[in-house]
Amino acid sequence: MLVNLLNVEKSYRLGSVDVRALDGVGLDIGRGDFLALAGPSGSGKTTLLNLIGCIDKPSGGRVVIDGVDVTAVPLHRLAATRRDTLGYIFQTFNLIPVLTAYENVEYPLLLQNVGRRERDARVRRWLDHVGLAAQAKQRPDQLSGGQRQRVAIARAMVAEPKLVLADEPTANLDQDTAAHILDLLEQLNRETGTTFVFATHDPAVMSRARRCVRLRDGRVCHSERSEESPAARDSSPAARLGMTPLFA
Amino acid sequence: MLTRIAFRNVFRNRRRSAITLLVIVFGAVGLILFGGYKQQTFRSLRESTIRSRLGHLQVYKRGFSTHEAKKPLEYGLDDVAALRRAVESDKRVKMTAAQITLMGLISNGDKSETFLATAVEPLKDRQMQGQRMVAGSELPANEPDAVILGRGLAASMHAKPGDYLTLMTTTSTGSLNAADVRVAGIFMSGVKEYDDRAVKMPLIGAQQLLQTKKVERLIVMLNDTDDTQAVRASLGRALPEIEMKDWSELATFYHQVVLLYNGIFGFLGLIVSAIVVFSVANTILMSIFERTREIGTLMAMGTTRSRVARMFLAEGLVIGVLGAAAGVVGGALLAAVINRGHVMLPPPPGYTVGYPLRMLLSPSILVTAAVISIITATISSIVPALKASRMKIVDALGHI
Repeated sequence: MLVNLLNVEKSYRLGSVDVRALDGVGLDIGRGDFLALAGPSGSGKTTLLNLIGCIDKPSGGRVVIDGVDVTAVPLHRLAATRRDTLGYIFQTFNLIPVLTAYENVEYPLLLQNVGRRERDARVRRWLDHVGLAAQAKQRPDQLSGGQRQRVAIARAMVAEPKLVLADEPTANLDQDTAAHILDLLEQLNRETGTTFVFATHDPAVMSRARRCVRLRDGRVCHSERSEESPAARDSSPAARLGMTPLFA
Repeated sequence: MLTRIAFRNVFRNRRRSAITLLVIVFGAVGLILFGGYKQQTFRSLRESTIRSRLGHLQVYKRGFSTHEAKKPLEYGLDDVAALRRAVESDKRVKMTAAQITLMGLISNGDKSETFLATAVEPLKDRQMQGQRMVAGSELPANEPDAVILGRGLAASMHAKPGDYLTLMTTTSTGSLNAADVRVAGIFMSGVKEYDDRAVKMPLIGAQQLLQTKKVERLIVMLNDTDDTQAVRASLGRALPEIEMKDWSELATFYHQVVLLYNGIFGFLGLIVSAIVVFSVANTILMSIFERTREIGTLMAMGTTRSRVARMFLAEGLVIGVLGAAAGVVGGALLAAVINRGHVMLPPPPGYTVGYPLRMLLSPSILVTAAVISIITATISSIVPALKASRMKIVDALGHI
């Protein structure tokens, strides 16, 4: 298992009210999973994603990432775990506005002190892979929403993380672009074996996930596993995006 | 990458950065102008003090400063000619001038005043250009009973060139002596209190009045002020029978001015630094507020706290470097314009003549202004940088 959540609780104070965001969540996520955390707003899916992503601490229970119990480790000491094990894709893309597409993708490799030549090769390969080789020198404000999210995907993948966390990755995209992004993520999951966990309430994302964990009021209320989704079988992501698959 | 991000972020909000840069530029320009003015003042005052009055070194008979003389010139130099030859054998010495100072009463027959006379070698005194003649002529070379008077004393004595006055003083043997002297000219030194009591007379005339062959001191002028301590050490080894004082020990007024100006400069520096600190800190805090989500993203990707802090420190540094560079160029140009403008300042307290406003632009002033600007801007970003690095990632990502 890549992620083990044992009876995880998370509560916080909102004004004078104690809010219980997660209430005894237990969840195992295997290597190579393509998993959606679904549920209505306030169900706790983003909170759960934050705990898995080592950017928030649980109030109770245990969080084990890649065999390491991170529950008791202060968040600022988990920077290396976030850098080497995890990748993030955000709903609002969260690219660094002053950096070009190339530099945004390059940034995680600089954190890992990857050498200049290898860095350049990997950045170019990933930009090419997400179909943005020609936009390498453009800044985020010169790119469309779909292009920005593809840069964000390349940035999340370039450091070769074991787990990519995506918080509503299609929420700010139109339907066609969202479908293309999901195709791309599915393709990456299949080709690289990287585990993907989405927090979403988008039915399209849920339908593409091989496993869907539904949350309600901070608890896991339903978990279902399916074989590869029909959408993934029926279309070729590389063909639809006009890309050359990286790991052909 | 850190520097690249910092550099680009400085230009992200151009108007805000421009205002901050302007503050730093004005600060640096202020430091350069005042620093240049201060340096020029120190240098001018030092050189005028040395060239017109004190000399670089003053040579006395050993015991002059430690023993209380019972009579005038008890600790005077006996064989000044031999001493002069020995001192002038050093190539760094430009010239020497023997002097005596004496006090007494000056009278026009109707009225008496105290005087403070400096007895000089007239030709050498002219080289020192210690005074400006306002009437009559300089001290004649071959007229032992000629004197020139300070403007204030001449006015008090109702004396004009060609008039005769009487000087009365105590001789080297302790008796009283008097001499009639002819007023050759009237001068002003610029210091009113001195001009109200000052008499200059030939050394020979003073020796006759004091009934002695001795002189009080030998003024030593050097070619270069920077050689003062080296020459002093060298003369001290060669001439054990003498004692010396250098200009710095005697220039009380110079040191008071230095102290005053350094205090003002320090205070000005503090004010400039405080303005820069608040301005830069405000800019970076605003920037952090706007980029909270970006900071959260960077930390979520594995950027360490220290790296985030360094990124904002680098922004302060970049702002400081840009501001310092522009400030140094602007300050140097403005100083050059002012120097060419021949602006005259009013006389300082105790002086009767104004002086030109000039700035001495030494590399040390430019470097100091640049370093203060850069360090201040960087220090100002410490608190914002720490604030940024201690953000909770979840809160930062959720920031709207």
